Amino acid sequence: MSCLDRQTVLIGLDGASFTILDHLMEEGTMPFLKKLISLGCRGELTSVIPPLTPPAWISLITGVRPGTHGVFNFLQFESPKSRYIKWLSFRDIQRETIWSIVNRHGMRAGSLNFIGMNPPPTIRGYIIPGFVSWRWLRKNSYPEDLFDRLRGIDGFDVKEMALNFREEEKAVKGCQREEYEDWIWLHIRRERQWFDVVRYLMKHDPCHLTAMIFDGLDRIQHVCWRFLDPAYALKAHAAWEEKVRRLCLQYFRNLDEFLEQIVDLAGPQANIFIASDHGFGPTREILYLNQWLCQQGYLKWKDNTAMGTKSVAGQSEDIESLGVESPYRSLLHLDWKKTKAYAATASSNGIIIQVAGKRGEEGIPANEYFSFREELIDKLRNSCLDPQSGEPLIKEIWTREEAFAGNFIDCAPDLTLSLRDSGFISIYPSEVYCRPRSQIMGTHRPEGVFAAVGPAIRKGEVIPPTSIINVAPTLLHTLGIPIPSDMEGQVITQIFDPAFLRAHPVETGAPTVPPERNQDASPQREDAEGQEQIMLRLKSLGYV
Amino acid sequence: MDERNQEKDLVPRQESIFQSVSKIISSLKDEWEYSGEITPETSLFTDLDFESIDAVVLGSMIEEHFNRSFPFAEYLASVGEKEVRDIKVKDLVNFIHQNLENQTLEN
Repeated sequence: MSCLDRQTVLIGLDGASFTILDHLMEEGTMPFLKKLISLGCRGELTSVIPPLTPPAWISLITGVRPGTHGVFNFLQFESPKSRYIKWLSFRDIQRETIWSIVNRHGMRAGSLNFIGMNPPPTIRGYIIPGFVSWRWLRKNSYPEDLFDRLRGIDGFDVKEMALNFREEEKAVKGCQREEYEDWIWLHIRRERQWFDVVRYLMKHDPCHLTAMIFDGLDRIQHVCWRFLDPAYALKAHAAWEEKVRRLCLQYFRNLDEFLEQIVDLAGPQANIFIASDHGFGPTREILYLNQWLCQQGYLKWKDNTAMGTKSVAGQSEDIESLGVESPYRSLLHLDWKKTKAYAATASSNGIIIQVAGKRGEEGIPANEYFSFREELIDKLRNSCLDPQSGEPLIKEIWTREEAFAGNFIDCAPDLTLSLRDSGFISIYPSEVYCRPRSQIMGTHRPEGVFAAVGPAIRKGEVIPPTSIINVAPTLLHTLGIPIPSDMEGQVITQIFDPAFLRAHPVETGAPTVPPERNQDASPQREDAEGQEQIMLRLKSLGYV
Repeated sequence: MDERNQEKDLVPRQESIFQSVSKIISSLKDEWEYSGEITPETSLFTDLDFESIDAVVLGSMIEEHFNRSFPFAEYLASVGEKEVRDIKVKDLVNFIHQNLENQTLEN
């Protein structure tokens, strides 16, 4: 049990949905989660537009929408004037995080496996970021000696704990039949590593706010949705499919045990929150959006561009590598002089309108932006149709003002789409602009999960759907911290015990402060480093 | 010395930038099996066995170190277009130096 006078624990379950969790709780795979939720509140947590890991988790930890915190995707434009996209880092998060706010109020905070938390800011507590390869994980964790301590954990293996970016591609492109079991085991082992770290830190370095993410749910659901969704999974299957399903259930059984031990470690006085960044559901088709734009005359591939990339199933499917080259490679296929609109990444489901003078000289005249955008919306609604049935492939379209109002709107896509099966688009060239997937896969849905239990929380309450931006102020309230006046989210007061709310009314406090940046390493300071020593070393290396 | 030259002097010299980059890369040695010295001729992908994401994280670490943004994405895209898709440490140092100079002049 923790020695702290108050403690709040946030357990993030990436991609968790009640579609799967309710079924697993009922059939006995997750008995602890069932018991935990029965002792507190639950409800649907509505993600951001689009329901995607980086903008969603960062909205959760800042209490503001993407247009205000500035994160829209894994890959972001390098600047409002650049057509080049880069991988997300902490420098892109333009709002103060809950860990910083907790620190400013004299309390300790821990952050485990959150995307965008690298390079890590200084913190009273600890940070191990998510989405960092094993080589860089120690260097990108805080404090600097943290990994030296973690090495004392029996079985600690940074290679298993960190994201394997090559393997990650399978979450999008799918697995070969013989790869399924390895894929699930990979995530069973990863979660064990993160759990061991969480347990060690909760015991030896307790924090007032401990926040962690288990992200294997997302990866397993992407690839194994048809083995998990009761709508498909309960039908008669061959022996191999039953084996894969049992292994999926093993993952969730382990997760349930981890939850039980974390809650036990936190102790009865802790308030426990469970949240996901988005929900999940099935996807059956692929829309090659750039190919459709090409057919409509808005985009031109370079003459030597090859059609399609081969999936494991032999069909042309989307393979957006998480690495460096592939996103640029796709943009390198575009003839910029004849391209007016394009999708830069698969994950954002966004369209960029090429405006002359904004990201290069090519594009439509700036004064035609709104009329062009309206024309494109009209075409997307009325001409982007299922080639067989003639039904619209696009369910909803948001302009950037609708989806991303805020200071950083200039870095957001001009249009964001929700497809009819909520799937991700493909940005690659293809012979056709729409085709069925070879197998049903999992994809994101806006409806995530929220649950809370603890001494401050009502018992047995089901709350109406609430926004993900409301989680941060709610966490702060459990720690007695006034809600920053510029936080867009609001405390979810329905979850609190009336006696607790009377004793602890919600207070509004001073606005957030700008995120901490490294102020010590200026070029001037660089120059002030011992030049003599540097020169000696460089000479020995043959550089000068 | 005019004002512009004074500003330019604030840009660290290439030797100093190399030292910083070398220090960042060398700090990874505990984690991965590379025992060689980091030199200007060291290639990130061939010698250090970088994956593409490692180059991205190195870019973030360099931005953090110098407390400013660099157009790494554009730089890496240009590398992707080359016949030999690799980056020598000296090329990276030149890229950083050039951009620090440009940013100083723009300001």
